[in-house]
Amino acid sequence: MAPRSIWNGTVTFGLVNVPIKLYSATESKTVHFHEVHVRDGAQIENRRYCSREDKEVDYDDVVKGYEVSEGNYVVLEKDEIKAAAGDRGKVVHLSEFVPAEEIDPVFYERTYYVGSRDEPDAYRLLHEALKKTGRAGIGRFSFHDREYLVALRALDDVLALHTLRFHDETVSGDDLEIDGGSRRPSKQEVDMAGRLVDSLAKDFKPDDWQDTYREAVLDLIKRKAKGEEIDLAAEEEPAHGDDLAAALEASLGSGS
Amino acid sequence: MPPQRSLWNGSLSFGLVNVPVELVSAARDLDYHFNELHEKDKARIEQRRFCSEEDVEVTWEEVAHSYDLDGKKVVVTDEELGSVQPRKTRTIDIEAFVDLDQIDPIFFDHPYFLAPAGESEGTLRAYRLLVSAMEKSERAALGRFVMRTKEYLAAIRVRDGALTLTTMRFHDEVRPTKQIPTGGKKPSKKQLDQAVALIEELATDWDPGSYEDCYRERLRRVIDDKRKRRKIEAPEPEREPSATPDLMAALEQTLANARAGRPIRESENGDGELRDLDRDELYERATKAGVKGRSKMSKKQLIKALSDDS
Repeated sequence: MAPRSIWNGTVTFGLVNVPIKLYSATESKTVHFHEVHVRDGAQIENRRYCSREDKEVDYDDVVKGYEVSEGNYVVLEKDEIKAAAGDRGKVVHLSEFVPAEEIDPVFYERTYYVGSRDEPDAYRLLHEALKKTGRAGIGRFSFHDREYLVALRALDDVLALHTLRFHDETVSGDDLEIDGGSRRPSKQEVDMAGRLVDSLAKDFKPDDWQDTYREAVLDLIKRKAKGEEIDLAAEEEPAHGDDLAAALEASLGSGS
Repeated sequence: MPPQRSLWNGSLSFGLVNVPVELVSAARDLDYHFNELHEKDKARIEQRRFCSEEDVEVTWEEVAHSYDLDGKKVVVTDEELGSVQPRKTRTIDIEAFVDLDQIDPIFFDHPYFLAPAGESEGTLRAYRLLVSAMEKSERAALGRFVMRTKEYLAAIRVRDGALTLTTMRFHDEVRPTKQIPTGGKKPSKKQLDQAVALIEELATDWDPGSYEDCYRERLRRVIDDKRKRRKIEAPEPEREPSATPDLMAALEQTLANARAGRPIRESENGDGELRDLDRDELYERATKAGVKGRSKMSKKQLIKALSDDS
């Protein structure tokens, strides 16, 4: 089945306009449950109640409020919140091009695939030029009345659009104030740890990594469906080794 | 900035070395959040759980989880779900080390830091040891851990002298690209050269500090305006430009603009690029250019004043 696009718009690259469509690039495969009442298995409903009147409230009588001080709200209409979206509309202007590998993983938020629309020649040209330079175009993108900072880059045969976190939305290591301790690890220990790292080195192949917990939950559901009794025994935790050098040596011995 | 709250406590296990660590978010939520209120009395809305069959309120303890298995409803309890949690639920086991640049950014989900848990000399030293060894190897460690009711695949590496952990999507959570429409004629060498030259002309280093969240700032102003009972008007969205008829001519004109230090979307009539800007950006330019009366000007008036000015 052909994927469904979620947005139509135009990317500009100077005076070159590239009509595009956007597609979700990721989907969560987490096992989702419905909440049910344990006694009768009936569906749980969430109902809105006014905390003051203790009465159910119709969704039409609900407004959005921003709390400016305790219990004091500035009430905003939907259209008023929309006004903050700005006037970018359906256009993403690429204003700068940065080396894609310079963007630290901490900035990446969501990814969308970008497909061509109407005039695919401009799309192809932008794709090849980005691929050749290894650069990502930086711009801003409005989606569902919110504006995002985005990076557009070549990913295999398509263009990918990543929404990015703003610098003040990321925490720096200095904010953690990690205590260095008084005794640094010895050179011998660092070398040994380095050898352990090397011994576990391999290529990243995404499908080597299965979501085993998801599989276990689905298996549990199947066993339950067959009417099996579920063993609720919990398992215990490993102890913390205190002798670093001895632990490293033992690891290398068993690992190689 | 307030210190980050610890979200998970456990140990990072590397061969037989266990380092007690705590997980803190490396992302900060700076969004403005809204609460649902009852329009009539501006009191907070509460969500309450009701049994749809009995029409009575249900407490959290009386809630079970139901899964639709091929049309059959299967109900499992919290305890049963807990029983399938992996053996070492409080451990991140490092299983492999890979080159960071082999992991496409599409796999990255949420960033965290791993900080040493506690002040014991042994913990701090083991933590430092991992930082030193990983910094040297320039590799990222891959491992799994369980937080709340989900197992995560995570990449751990060193950033700013601390261990940083990024949760990752599993391979089947990334969609294939096969069916995404691309197509188009292969560009001529001349076109590609021009496009590459244009990218190089607009090339810059990645400097995250140079991009501010204008949306957050605009939303702050909207809230403020509302509070002061000022009128809030949504700006008119920019018109979507049509497809470029002549790619080569557009590339050449853009490149000429960039090399001359002119705005890159400046076309024959001169105001093309200005029309692409939103009012905030126009206002910023008007401030720089010293345009008088700018605070009362509409977007159109700002464009006119700025193009007359140049």
